[in-house]
Amino acid sequence: MASVGARPRPRATRLLVASLVSASLVIITLDYRGGEAGPLASLGRAAKASIAPLQELVTDLVRPVATVVSGIANLPSLAEENRRLREELATALTEVRQTRFQAEQLRELEDLLGLRAELDPQGVPAVVTASGVSNFEWTITINRGSNDGIAVDMPVVAGSAESPRLVGKVIEVTPISAEVELILDRASAVAAVVEGSGAVGLVWGQGNEDLLMEGVDPDADIRGDESVFTKGYRVDGQPGLYPPGILIGQVSRVSPTGNSLETPLRIRPAVDFATLDFVLVLTTRAREAAS
Amino acid sequence: MIRRGLAIALLIITALLLQSTVFAQLRLLGVRPELLYLVTIVVAFQEGPAEGSVVGFLSGLAQDLLLNEPKGILALTLTLLGYAVGMLRPFIVSPSPLVPTILAAAGTVGGVVFYVVVSFLLGNFSAGARFALQVALLTGAYNAVLTPIAFPLLRRVLEGSRPRRVVRF
Repeated sequence: MASVGARPRPRATRLLVASLVSASLVIITLDYRGGEAGPLASLGRAAKASIAPLQELVTDLVRPVATVVSGIANLPSLAEENRRLREELATALTEVRQTRFQAEQLRELEDLLGLRAELDPQGVPAVVTASGVSNFEWTITINRGSNDGIAVDMPVVAGSAESPRLVGKVIEVTPISAEVELILDRASAVAAVVEGSGAVGLVWGQGNEDLLMEGVDPDADIRGDESVFTKGYRVDGQPGLYPPGILIGQVSRVSPTGNSLETPLRIRPAVDFATLDFVLVLTTRAREAAS
Repeated sequence: MIRRGLAIALLIITALLLQSTVFAQLRLLGVRPELLYLVTIVVAFQEGPAEGSVVGFLSGLAQDLLLNEPKGILALTLTLLGYAVGMLRPFIVSPSPLVPTILAAAGTVGGVVFYVVVSFLLGNFSAGARFALQVALLTGAYNAVLTPIAFPLLRRVLEGSRPRRVVRF
């Protein structure tokens, strides 16, 4: 209990550091063994729940500024983009008219087969309040939680429930917020199907790069630019995580490998994650499981 | 002492908030800075290894709680980072303002590499060495860029909240 002035005491410091290091190791071990039910996971959820309102506040304050800044940065390319978008719109409108007819037919068939619930999911809209703090995790935080009926593993999309684009899935919920793992995350894998050829595979997150689709049949006729959608698998009557037909992105590169067992594809996500402000959490799946 | 604790807690929360909101938008080649590494390095540089390691541990733990990795890895990393920078401090005699900047860059790169290695050993890192190194170098550069703003700011907070010069152990 000696009181000492500014003179450093190397032994006391070493002891302090040694105990902090041991404390860290104990925490790592406890968390590893405890998993999702452990005390540290609950502590983490409590921390996330308490910081979520603050994050929402800061994001609300910052969003207008961020919009202006990114608007100015993109100004030179806007005219060019405008022209391109007009062209795309014309093409898209034509396709929409063609598709609408087919959709009606499909809807009738679905009704006959009782498949509607799966293809027409209910959604809870949410605002993106923050992104993850680490450079090695691709997650976002949204302002809806278990109080709003959000549960772990629910799919999250951008756009409307009619034309959804895949964002990711819920991996953690607090009463007032939820954490969403983006499809960019390296832990994310989504069963997918390529439009046209009907080739199936798994789409893996690759961080900031385009997604990687593995397991695609090398004989499949894929030229690039095709759309890739989620594939709803059914195993033992249990539906997969994602409902079928959610747009994931476009094939950006077809890279044949030396071994011809598969053709890895690069997929550019349909969602611009840098400017993502609003999402829709699809809740149908949980309701199905509950009933 | 209470004031000091509050100041540090506020510092850590502010850093976490900024990192998850503002800096998520202001990325440098896809990478955001590691503000808590910066806080740890500056505190250790100013106050020595004891306080450096304590603040490192607390900042690391705070960020760990928000991550999905096994919690505790960053607490371990920043404890050691704070200690290392604090121990290094007496050997740096140059009064140049570049010293904190270089220290921030080197400390962050070293810290991120250490973090990735521990994470990999625990079977929780799958991104590949090239990507990890790229992120380490970029965050180091980003933190170095932020040092001229963060250093005077943090020094002010630390000096404003300093308890009387007698420290009780």
